[in-house]
Amino acid sequence: MPRPEHRSITFTIDGREVQAPENTILVDAAKLGDVEIPVFCYEPKLGQPVGACRMCLVEIEGIPKLQTGCSTPVKDGMVVHTQTARVKEAQAAVVEFLLINHPLDCPVCDKGGECPLQDISYGWGGGTTRFIEPKRHFVKPLELSPLIAIDRERCILCYRCVRFSQEVSEDYQLVLHERGAATFVGTFDGHPYVAPFSGNIIELCPVGALTSRPYRFRARPWDIEGSGSVCTLCPAQCNVSFTVRDERVLRVLARQNDGVDDGWLCDKGRFAYQSVHSDERVTQPLLRDGGELRPVSWERALATAAGLLKKAGAGVAGLAGGESTNEEGFLLQRLIREVLGSSHVDAAGVDPVDLWSLARPDLQASLQDVEYAHTVLVLGTEPVDDMPILDLRIRKGVRRNRVKLAVATARPSSLDASAALSVRYAPGGEGAFVTALTAAVYGGDVDAPAAAAGADVDAIRTLAELLRTGGGDDDNRAPGDVVIVWGTRLLGADGGAVTPALLKLASGLALTGRDGGGLLAVPASTNERGLLEAGVAPGLAPGFGDTGAAGESYAEAGIARALRDGDLTALYLLHDDPILSRPDAVGWDRALEKATTVVAHAQFLTAGLREHATVVFPAESYAEKEGTVTHPDGRVQRLRPAIGRQGQTRPEWWVLSELSRRLGADMGILTGAMASRQLFDAVPFYAGLTLDRIGGRGVRWPADPAAAAAFPPPPEVRRDVAYETTATPNGALRLGTFRSIWAGIEVELSPALTFLTPRQQVEMAPADARRLGVAHGDKVVVAGDGASLEATVVLRNAASPGSVFLQTGIQTDAANGLDAALVEIHKA
Amino acid sequence: MSWHPGADQIEVMRPPAPGAAGGTYRAFAETMRGLKTTFARVIEGVHTLQYPEQKTPVYPRFRGRHRLHKFEDTGLEKCVGCSLCAAACPADCIRVVAAENTPELRVSAGERYASVYEINLSRCIFCGYCEVACPFDAITMGHDYEMSDYQRSDLIFTKEMLLAEPLERAPLRAEGE
Ligand code: SF4
Ligand code: SF4
Ligand code: SF4
Ligand code: SF4
Ligand code: FES
Repeated sequence: MPRPEHRSITFTIDGREVQAPENTILVDAAKLGDVEIPVFCYEPKLGQPVGACRMCLVEIEGIPKLQTGCSTPVKDGMVVHTQTARVKEAQAAVVEFLLINHPLDCPVCDKGGECPLQDISYGWGGGTTRFIEPKRHFVKPLELSPLIAIDRERCILCYRCVRFSQEVSEDYQLVLHERGAATFVGTFDGHPYVAPFSGNIIELCPVGALTSRPYRFRARPWDIEGSGSVCTLCPAQCNVSFTVRDERVLRVLARQNDGVDDGWLCDKGRFAYQSVHSDERVTQPLLRDGGELRPVSWERALATAAGLLKKAGAGVAGLAGGESTNEEGFLLQRLIREVLGSSHVDAAGVDPVDLWSLARPDLQASLQDVEYAHTVLVLGTEPVDDMPILDLRIRKGVRRNRVKLAVATARPSSLDASAALSVRYAPGGEGAFVTALTAAVYGGDVDAPAAAAGADVDAIRTLAELLRTGGGDDDNRAPGDVVIVWGTRLLGADGGAVTPALLKLASGLALTGRDGGGLLAVPASTNERGLLEAGVAPGLAPGFGDTGAAGESYAEAGIARALRDGDLTALYLLHDDPILSRPDAVGWDRALEKATTVVAHAQFLTAGLREHATVVFPAESYAEKEGTVTHPDGRVQRLRPAIGRQGQTRPEWWVLSELSRRLGADMGILTGAMASRQLFDAVPFYAGLTLDRIGGRGVRWPADPAAAAAFPPPPEVRRDVAYETTATPNGALRLGTFRSIWAGIEVELSPALTFLTPRQQVEMAPADARRLGVAHGDKVVVAGDGASLEATVVLRNAASPGSVFLQTGIQTDAANGLDAALVEIHKA
Repeated sequence: MSWHPGADQIEVMRPPAPGAAGGTYRAFAETMRGLKTTFARVIEGVHTLQYPEQKTPVYPRFRGRHRLHKFEDTGLEKCVGCSLCAAACPADCIRVVAAENTPELRVSAGERYASVYEINLSRCIFCGYCEVACPFDAITMGHDYEMSDYQRSDLIFTKEMLLAEPLERAPLRAEGE
């Protein structure tokens, strides 16, 4: 649905005339006139108000009874009073009523000092109680989950947590049990409330009923400082505020930015801060000495690294992991290209020209478009794993704005239940599927590519029909705003065919230059887009310029091959361990083995680095960094340091510029801000950005006409590429992969989250399991192409028979150890 | 740079020097007059205290060095680590880090206890706000005033020091004293 427009009206509150958009909820409209109406249950993020607590009562002229301000929209000429004796009496009565059963154990309550119930009791309560009877008692505190403690005595039954679970994250786990004074919040059968977004209820609860177990009793509001930054643990790049006490991050809170996160966080973002203070952090430079990495001084590490890099010269390749900032990526490519004279740098690992063509500002949808489009197509990505907060945004659009959702994925999606239509294709059939869909929209042969994708032709035609006519109601079908949310992993699977088909699909749906529709990429790693724009891509200089390098510039796979063949001798890893994060772990293992020099910036010694790194520089965590990252929808956001660097860690920009100084080239960088300056100057569509302008909310450059005009037009894409046909199982099973939201070393090293650390599991359809004689929970060996790994069977009813799915990004038995399209499974 | 007085000459005016008679009067008669005052006071009795052997007694509401308290019956600490004293302290000299009681380690009566409780007595202004803020009467201003030390860091009193009985008690002023 297109964004609603509101006309401005005038109403009177406490004798003051106030202008507000029509139908604004009275509580919000009152704020425009500097009048505060106390609320407990009202929270606009949760959708429709429920009017459960009655704290917001106001008097409206012409209506005999007091009205709830949280559920009354303002109308022109409304006259509202919030200060009359009747209102005051009602407010005091509600507070007294809420406190009847409230333990008021503020000194031991974790909410004390930041508790709306305390504030409202002080501000609007009567100050006395007449209740001398015993209060209700519950056993307390209980574990609602390993992350959340619940104190049922303190609950004021505002429904916020239950509404979140039912209407926002739609995990349908929390309910209210019993009636009357005995009512309490819990899960239906008492199992722990474990869900990707469960932590949000801690922040929602207006009292100390739901508290964070990791933060429990750590600090009081007056002991701490808040420090705004951006979470870089996934591409959603939610805005966060770190709670810092004594130079330690103790908590992460959401910092609402409607253009990014809508005020929600996933549990990884909320609790994985603990890894910042993990003992496993690398906090001093390490050097391989006698086969072991040993701590050395900065001087020795820098001198050795500079010497080794100098020796390798143009035989150095650079890889940046997704957690690198734009500045770090920018300096890395300067070091590799300008100083060392090599042309091999990569970050995303897929064809950068494809990404360039699909990142065009006229095709770019913003994150908010997802919420207001007529139709959203989720293509080849699982938002809850790949970009969790996007999942909430899609659900919000479907629930509140009647967005029609279509899901087209190989693996069953958690969005299937909300979708108007779900289409499956076989892993490996990505290119063919997009080709078939484009043909169905645009005209052309659908049957052949659909068969090659292992997808149902009729389903593809229905999907095309939905995309083409999703704009009107059922009688009056019209083309509408379509947002295609696509995973950049598609390009890795069958890059050549996906890009031209996707571009054609977008123009067939008239998405070019359209407000409210377009493409939205879901990258495989946090700052994939920013690194691409900063020039960390083979053959593309910052801002998609020309590098002027002669010969071939290797991308990720090419670098691995060249290292194995001895064409390249050294590798510079910025926040990356290719064995963990890149496809073909076996090939990478041999490449790193063969490389004479591996210089790495790392926070943690993952297996690949422990085995193969020559020099390891301690890297900053996201709470210590300064710099910028770019959101998948083009919003440049700023990271700010919340705490001091751990141990002897030094900033990456300093290390990169110091190395280049030692190699005889001065980058001219003395502070982090100077690196940002250089980046903004080098990228034409970042021109005019400053750290100040980016500020706390970020700047979406595709929305700025001048910046969009400065975007260099991508070269014509090759249209003749043939799609690949998905492998014929022939008794074996097709292998698809996915990366769980809980994958990542940060989860493993955060004590609160370790229980969620994923272990390898193979998802399959019950039919396949029966055929193979395995059951849910069995240990099996998955083998393909000479390699094998162990996994636990997970049956999914919605999975299409013939395909199985394994996880990547985990520390042991990861799917990138199998470089095969088909696998065999047998009992372990 | 040398100083040039310039035209500002300073003239010093002196009284005339006393003659022989005047000098003699000053040396004997005036001295005797002073001694008269001295001996008159000696018979008045002793006014000073022999500190540190003798100590000034304090009033019951004297605000001296803080004390933390335990329940007499259970031996549990009264402090629950709520940090309200730290919030009230205008000198910002109290640091509380709370932790959770477990069945194995029960320190206080509530859910939480103070795992770290420190007062920096070199900054404390003995205003007593902490005592007023405490909801459990866990912290009170004691009568101790002997707190000088050689190191500033020794003036940071830990929870153990605040819970312990003072080495020597300051005497309390008796009724009507
Ligand atoms: S919820 Fe608020 S009012 Fe209730 S005990 Fe906790 S701090 Fe006090
Ligand atoms: S637990 Fe908190 S959020 Fe949930 S109903 Fe009770 S008071 Fe509201
Ligand atoms: S007496 Fe005053 S200054 Fe000293 S610790 Fe207590 S509140 Fe702080
Ligand atoms: S001394 Fe009192 S006010 Fe201070 S933390 Fe302990 S219980 Fe709270
Ligand atoms: S805020 Fe209006 S009823 Fe709760």
